[in-house]
Amino acid sequence: MDFKFGEKEEALRKEIREFAREELPPGWLAVMLEEESRDEDWAFAMSISKKLSERGWLTMSWPEEYGGRGSSLWEQLVYLEESGYWGIPGTMMGISGVAWVGPSLMMYGSEEQKEKHLPLIASGEPDGVWCTGYSEPNAGSDFANIQTRAVKEGDEYVINGQKTWTSAAHRSRWCWLAVVTDPNAPKKHQRISVFIVDMKSKGVTVNPLVNYAGYHIFNEVFFDDVRVPASNLVGEENRGWYQLMTSLAYERGSLGPAGYGYNKRILDELVRYAKENNLFQKHDIRCKLADMAIEVETQRMLASQTIWKMSKGDMPTYEPSRDKVFNDQVQERLAITGTEILGAYSQMDPLHRDSRWSKIRGCVESLYWLFPGISISAGTDEIEKNIIGQFGLELPRSY
Amino acid sequence: MDFDLSEDQKILQTSVREFLDKECPKDKVRELEEDEQGYDTEMWKKMAELEWMGVVFPEEYGGTEGDFIDLMILAEEMGRYILPSPFFSTVVLSSLPILKYGNGEQKEKFLPKIANGKEIWTLALMESSATYEASDVKLRATPEGEAYLLEGAKLFVPYAHVADHLLVVARTSEEEKPEDGITVFIVDLASSTGIEVEVIPTAAHDKQCEVRFDRVKVPRGNVLGDVGRGWDVVNFIIQKGVVLKCAEMLGGAQAVLEMTNDYAKERVQFERPIGSFQAIQHKLADMFTDVEGLRYLVYEAAWKINIGSPSDLLISMAKAKANEVYQRTCIGGIRIHGAIGFTREEDIGLYYLRTKAAEFALGDTGFHKERIATELERS
Ligand SMILES: Cc1cc2nc3c(=O)[nH]c(=O)nc-3n(C[C@H](O)[C@H](O)[C@H](O)COP(=O)(O)OP(=O)(O)OC[C@H]3O[C@@H](n4cnc5c(N)ncnc54)[C@H](O)[C@@H]3O)c2cc1C
Ligand SMILES: Cc1cc2nc3c(=O)[nH]c(=O)nc-3n(C[C@H](O)[C@H](O)[C@H](O)COP(=O)(O)OP(=O)(O)OC[C@H]3O[C@@H](n4cnc5c(N)ncnc54)[C@H](O)[C@@H]3O)c2cc1C
Repeated sequence: MDFKFGEKEEALRKEIREFAREELPPGWLAVMLEEESRDEDWAFAMSISKKLSERGWLTMSWPEEYGGRGSSLWEQLVYLEESGYWGIPGTMMGISGVAWVGPSLMMYGSEEQKEKHLPLIASGEPDGVWCTGYSEPNAGSDFANIQTRAVKEGDEYVINGQKTWTSAAHRSRWCWLAVVTDPNAPKKHQRISVFIVDMKSKGVTVNPLVNYAGYHIFNEVFFDDVRVPASNLVGEENRGWYQLMTSLAYERGSLGPAGYGYNKRILDELVRYAKENNLFQKHDIRCKLADMAIEVETQRMLASQTIWKMSKGDMPTYEPSRDKVFNDQVQERLAITGTEILGAYSQMDPLHRDSRWSKIRGCVESLYWLFPGISISAGTDEIEKNIIGQFGLELPRSY
Repeated sequence: MDFDLSEDQKILQTSVREFLDKECPKDKVRELEEDEQGYDTEMWKKMAELEWMGVVFPEEYGGTEGDFIDLMILAEEMGRYILPSPFFSTVVLSSLPILKYGNGEQKEKFLPKIANGKEIWTLALMESSATYEASDVKLRATPEGEAYLLEGAKLFVPYAHVADHLLVVARTSEEEKPEDGITVFIVDLASSTGIEVEVIPTAAHDKQCEVRFDRVKVPRGNVLGDVGRGWDVVNFIIQKGVVLKCAEMLGGAQAVLEMTNDYAKERVQFERPIGSFQAIQHKLADMFTDVEGLRYLVYEAAWKINIGSPSDLLISMAKAKANEVYQRTCIGGIRIHGAIGFTREEDIGLYYLRTKAAEFALGDTGFHKERIATELERS
């Protein structure tokens, strides 16, 4: 048993903190899902992506030949924690080149795909930005139920259909697209394939969907006779579902540390706010802060345990789902309790975070307005709990 | 980072588990609840032969020089089997402070007898206010000649009815700060007069006692640590004891989770195992995450102690969490069992009946949250 980081990780942590101090405006506090909404925020995020790339951090765990630096999972954990804490924007390359397009290509992509796309993502340039086209109007949690079709014609595929809730599609050069290639397969999981689609292709239409708080995060994306070269098929035809399940586990593995970092910052800001406003005199506020501190530290340990498991070479099974649900619970608590601590000041419009009535730069109420949506994205808590039941507790399937 | 036990620690864990599996089935627990002594003297001897009592003592006192993690492993397994025994009161609450604060003579005299299972010890701390605040230590110790006279009463003192010695936390002087003027005494029950012990009828029949002191004479040589500095000793006991109590609770919660999960796979209603209903799955998933989160929090707090830099923040986090998780796991577990979980025959009730003893031992949730808030305010 040993819960301390090595010297290498601690040195990296220091470096990232210095980077955050130098590159981010004074008093910078990030809000989740904010960067792809407004043009100026997006431009700033992309400028930071470039700098992260120059440091070799953007895709640090990738091998050097693809623009990474072969960092350990522990270094990556530190990077994710710190970037979450300081709110460093531009770490994802859309939704999400860094977290799963890259790793999936390394596992299943052709040499040509790897050589073309991995360095592009690692470069931090706009041409390395991706969106993910999984969900459709009739395929949310039941993702295997997608209808978008790809039909082979010569050495091309022709794609028709509609995706929805596609985050950052309006910022992306590429789409990581799941489609049906064999409508007659005996099981719906056996008919899915993954394609790389250039968002500049003829027949791709992106319509904004604005969320209730006024952010433009996600979109509808329509595909009308979009032609893509057959060489853009990733891995094997009709094996898409199985490939995605493996890469999803990796995606969720990175969620814990980043979520912890972000949540710890909110907690620290609330503690500071409570001190500055003499709120520590109030018994109920002391208890609330203590409650949040316990959950945030628990999150740190759970997230680290997942990374530890991966670092031993074991495939995480239920752990990423556990960490996803836990992150949602911690954020819910921080949002609800945090807004209780701010009181009437917590009703501010998140699009006016600079207003003089906003406390803690509006990050607490922004979390409150956004956490329900965050908790739905990347798998709802109900779906994640089904996974915990099935793989963590070996319970019989319910459906 | 390494979340695993070492090979030696795993061997210890397995051997403790095998021993308790054989020696402490739940019928034994039920039998000992009805037993006047409340523990099995034969089992106690075997535990001593396995060198559990002296696991952290130096060799010169009959110990095996293990570390705090070894002790934590013992506590977790004892919690898993809800072993009724004076191990916690003797080893955790009494021998650890003697090891830390005792003088050479006291250590030589007392520790070997604890290590070889000859003596049972306990700590008399709580009083009628039933809290762990320094201001609530009111039992008086008045100097008289070469001795002190103890006058007052202590509550919820585990296994005092069979103890050979007590550590008694008493007030020796009134000072400005309630933490000052407290002294810890070693009291030999056999040679003292004026002590009355009465077993309190707790739900778990776990032999917690009221101990009344009527002008009990204690020689000056029996002060543990310094006169007036007893609150340091109490804090030390709370620090170490809390983490080990948490380990016990973790073991208990893990056992409840496992028995409930097993039951959910076996019990069939509506032609299918109840574990296939999402209402049950999601409850179990929550219990599972609760217990895992508690586990790593407790391990982290214990590891900090083991490397010599205890964190009061982490320790209080672990206890506040353990209090909530142990209770929640038991309640959820009983519900999933249905009516059978409400019976004396099913094991889960035995755990539930122990939740309150554990929750209020060494600081309740409010006490520890207050400590966490103090640390946050200071940060
Ligand atoms: C902010 C945000 C960003 C997103 N970004 C993207 C993106 O970039 N790309 C993309 O492809 N998708 C994206 N999504 C879509 C997201 O993946 C889906 O919203 C999610 O999978 C849930 O699907 P749904 O919204 O259709 O809800 P539904 O699947 O209709 O679920 C509705 C409710 O029913 C519950 N439910 C459904 N099935 C079960 C079951 N078997 N057991 C128990 N309960 C069940 C759900 O938990 C939920 O509470 C995003 C969503 C959000 C909110
Ligand atoms: C104090 C007490 C007094 C009682 N008195 C009487 C009495 O006088 N007469 C009498 O006839 N009975 C009596 N009962 C029995 C009582 O009606 C049953 O205990 C109750 O119906 C539950 O059945 P079960 O105990 O077999 O649990 P089970 O039905 O086995 O349920 C176990 C768990 O599975 C859950 N579960 C089961 N099916 C589903 C499902 N479809 N979806 C989701 N979850 C499910 C349950 O909610 C429960 O959490 C009494 C019970 C108690 C505790």
